[in-house]
Parts: sequence; structure tokens; C-alpha cells
Amino acid sequence: MRLGTSLAAGLAALAFAGAALAGAEKVGYPAGYQTKFRLYNVIDRPDRKIVRFMYMNPEAFEKAKAGEPAPHGMVLVMEDRKAKTDASGKAVTDAEGRIVATDEVANVFVMRKEAGWGAEYPPEKRNGEWEYAWFTPDGARKADARFDGCFSCHKARAERDFTFTFAVNLGELKK
Amino acid sequence: MKRAFLAFLAGPTLLWAVPALAGEHVVRMAGMAYAPAAIGAKLGDTIRFVNDDGTAHNVFVPTVGFGVDLGKQDPGKEATLVLAKAGRFEVECVFHPDMRIAVAVSR
Repeated sequence: MRLGTSLAAGLAALAFAGAALAGAEKVGYPAGYQTKFRLYNVIDRPDRKIVRFMYMNPEAFEKAKAGEPAPHGMVLVMEDRKAKTDASGKAVTDAEGRIVATDEVANVFVMRKEAGWGAEYPPEKRNGEWEYAWFTPDGARKADARFDGCFSCHKARAERDFTFTFAVNLGELKK
Repeated sequence: MKRAFLAFLAGPTLLWAVPALAGEHVVRMAGMAYAPAAIGAKLGDTIRFVNDDGTAHNVFVPTVGFGVDLGKQDPGKEATLVLAKAGRFEVECVFHPDMRIAVAVSR
């Protein structure tokens, strides 16, 4: 009986190990991105009192060419940091009107592109070969995270490989 | 007579002391398009985006050095962008990629 239970457990483990990862599970947390990746853009979100720091992995950036789709292996990170606020709760801005960010990270969103990814999605949802993941500041996956919003919003930028801030600035970033 | 003389003196002094007022540029969104499609502005001016369309829009600037997202803007709502940095950038609607406006801010 004990042998049967162990066998069943072993088979289940093998089946799990062999199963293909789905969706967001394919995208791992990019440990050390704040130092290893290149910070390429900063987007203020005054309505949410956050500042979005946008990073990309340097290996893929080297391969990327302006006007062309992002290369396989591209990893883009959108890190939400809380804004510094004054006594009244208003976001503090600098001399150029930019929101001053704190070091407190609220969320880490990652999008990654690999060959063949996305094939399981219907055309009306698929974002090319991109997948999305959502992590808490400590690198854990966000519980109950949903990604329909990521897919639908980025779908609107299909003409520039589903990215809002990367492809449109690549020419300048390459200079 | 004395009062008129004082007013004459005060006039030029006021003109000298008060800097030029910042201008306001109004952009409308009816018909799924920003109007006007390009703006030349001065540092310190503001752009007031008026959603006079029947659907939600947005003010999003992806240009490096100017990046900002003012969030979803429902019909009838307004959003204001303060031009506190000189340079050129593009505004887009996150939801409607064909909605774009070029902005040039000079000193």
C-alpha cells in the first residue's frame, strides 16, 4: 500500500515536471534587474501617485534594431514605486514637474518575448510572442493576478510590437 | 492729476515686475482625434485636454525624459499637463493608437 502511494506520488511529480508551463508561469522574476538591467524610461502616474521605472535586459537591447520587432529573449520590467508626498498627501514634484519617487516598490510587472510563445491564445487576445507576469517587491508571484488587462491594453500597440515605451524610443536609445 | 501721474509711473513698473502670464492650450478629443494635432508652446504653459468625445481617452507621453500617463479620461472630463521642461514630445491615447499630438516646448 505504501509502495502504491509512493509510486502514485512519483508519477504525479514526473507528470508535473514534464508539463509545459503556461502563461505567466513562463516568465520568471528577473532577480537583480535594478542593477543588471538598463533603466530606459520613467513614466509619472500622478493619478495613482506612483512613478513607473522601465528597465530592459542589456543582452536583448544589443540585438534590438529600431523599426524591427524586439528580439527573442527581450525582457521589459515596469517597476512601480510610490511617490514622495507632502503633508497634504500630494505628490511632490521637482523643478521640471517630475514626480519625486521613493525607494518603495509597490509592484513589478514583467513582459518577456520568446520564440513560439503565445501560440495557445486566440488571435483576438494574442500579443505576438509576449507573455506577462506580475510580482510583489520580494519577487513572489502576485496572488490571483490576472493578465487580461495586460493583453488587451498592449494589443493596441501591435504595430510597434506590443510595447508602449520601448520600440517608440529605441532609435533615440541606440544613439 | 496727481493720481494720473502715479498711474503713469506704476504702469511700466508693473509691466516690468510681473512676468509674462503662462499660456493655456486647449486640446479637444472629439471624433477620436486630438485637435489640434500639433502644439508649439512656451515653458510654463499648460495644455488642457478636454474629452468632448463619446468614449474614454487618455493622455500618455512615452517620450524619454517627458514620460507621463494621466490615466483614463472619461467623456466630459478634463486633464491638464503642465509644460515644465523644454523639448519635444508626443502625446498618445493609450486606448487609441492613432490619436497622437506633437508638442514642442521652447524657453
